[in-house]
Amino acid sequence: MKNKLIASLPAIILGALTAIAPQTFAHACAGHDVPGACHYSALAASGVGVVIALLGVASLFVGTRERIGLNIAVVINALLVLAIPTVLIGVCQGAMMHCRMVMLPTLMVLGALTIVFAAIALVMDAKSTNAAATRVR
Amino acid sequence: MPHITLGRLPFENLKRKPFRTAALLVIVTMLSATFFGGAMLALNLNAGLDSMQKRLGADLMVVPQNTGAKAEALLTSSTSSTFYFTNDIDSLVSKADGIAQSTVQTYISSLTADCCDEQVQIIGFNPATDFVIEPWITSEYDQTLETGQVIAGANINVSTSGTIKLYDHEFPVAAQLATTGTSLDNSVFVNQETIPRIVGYSAQVGHPAIPEEYADTAVSAVLIKVADGYSAEQVADNITEASGLDGLGYVYPGGITATTKTNLSAIVGYVALFLAAFWVMGVVVLLAVFSSSTNERKREFASLRIMGATRGTLVGLIVKESALLGLIGGLIGIALASLVIFPFSTLIGRQLQLPYLQVGVPTTLGLMAAGLVFAVVTGMIASVASAYRLSKPETYLMLREGE
Repeated sequence: MKNKLIASLPAIILGALTAIAPQTFAHACAGHDVPGACHYSALAASGVGVVIALLGVASLFVGTRERIGLNIAVVINALLVLAIPTVLIGVCQGAMMHCRMVMLPTLMVLGALTIVFAAIALVMDAKSTNAAATRVR
Repeated sequence: MPHITLGRLPFENLKRKPFRTAALLVIVTMLSATFFGGAMLALNLNAGLDSMQKRLGADLMVVPQNTGAKAEALLTSSTSSTFYFTNDIDSLVSKADGIAQSTVQTYISSLTADCCDEQVQIIGFNPATDFVIEPWITSEYDQTLETGQVIAGANINVSTSGTIKLYDHEFPVAAQLATTGTSLDNSVFVNQETIPRIVGYSAQVGHPAIPEEYADTAVSAVLIKVADGYSAEQVADNITEASGLDGLGYVYPGGITATTKTNLSAIVGYVALFLAAFWVMGVVVLLAVFSSSTNERKREFASLRIMGATRGTLVGLIVKESALLGLIGGLIGIALASLVIFPFSTLIGRQLQLPYLQVGVPTTLGLMAAGLVFAVVTGMIASVASAYRLSKPETYLMLREGE
């Protein structure tokens, strides 16, 4: 149960935050006539955030081995969260623009935390799987 | 059952009590995050102040009537503005006594141009007479700034083709300056001959920055270095008298620096006070937890003594456990504080409305090491009382107490 919560709760919370933040407090720059890169980064990050949260929810209802797979997917999605505003789509160039000042660092922090928690869950689940295998032998 | 060595015993002890270990880790993590975050904030603010002092090289600024506040905001925050004299203020000011050096600058606030661009402060200066900006620019760009070229501050968005768009015109960027942590990072610098061109471009897009009849002569401020033996206030009085203009505005950059320094000292003082109070509380909690856990573990320690462990070994065990907690908590705390301090540094600087300049990598690494030492030492201090008690009683008494 402990492993299950560690594997799912952070993904649900951080995924939800990743989905909500670019649409609320860490929003893209406002007032564009034509949507800029930051606008599309915000949309993409929100979508990936929803996926991470759903993977977290799914982790609540599956066994240890499946949870390992789901957490690998969480790590890959979190890497996408990092890549969207930096490499794949980007944000506005101006250092004082809201998207660069708030949205970019918020997504970086959320992405990094998601990877760390998913890695911890992975290690814990891998250990318990190994222990179970040893007991069976 | 894995073999546990004496070296691994502190780690295994912590592992066997996950709740206690987690609770202690939370305290150490919070302590080290506060220490590192607070110290980093103070260092960055000090670096910003140093940078600001270097950039505000004039003793006195003469500005138009009722624009003193705008001029101060222009120096201290990222607020851009346009103001100008319509008369030949430079020659009027130069008649006054007590002026060692003087130069003129023109300030124009740009429009929000392209998508994702923001207002920038255009600063026109005279490279021949300037003693405020020129020495700083020369340290990074040693060529002559041509008419029509601009030098961009660190935060300015320069296109990949090396230009910046202002008033729908592409200006070639001769150089981009390093970060100063001040409002100058959001400014572009041009020579005075470029100002009429900018006014022309602004008129073409329907937003004239300055009426075109003043485009060639508009001056926003006369910056003055006072001669030895004069105060800035005396020179201001002399200027009022010599020019015959009563309504001139005077800004004293030295005063602004002093005010900023006072604000900064207050913030750093509060941070230090908070840190000290938090540290004392943390150490008291850690002391209490270690003491109570030592009481509960008397049988364990007595058993170790029976197995041949010396009192020194037991003391070492407790100290190693606390040092390990300090190390792990310190690492987590510094990592958490780093997640806030580094990515959000621009936002922090903007919210504080004070010069804020991220210190260099060596200083940051030094502070991280100091933060780790602080966390380990704090953990060790918390175990001192328990270690002292353990080093006292005899094995038999300890065993009986534990029954």
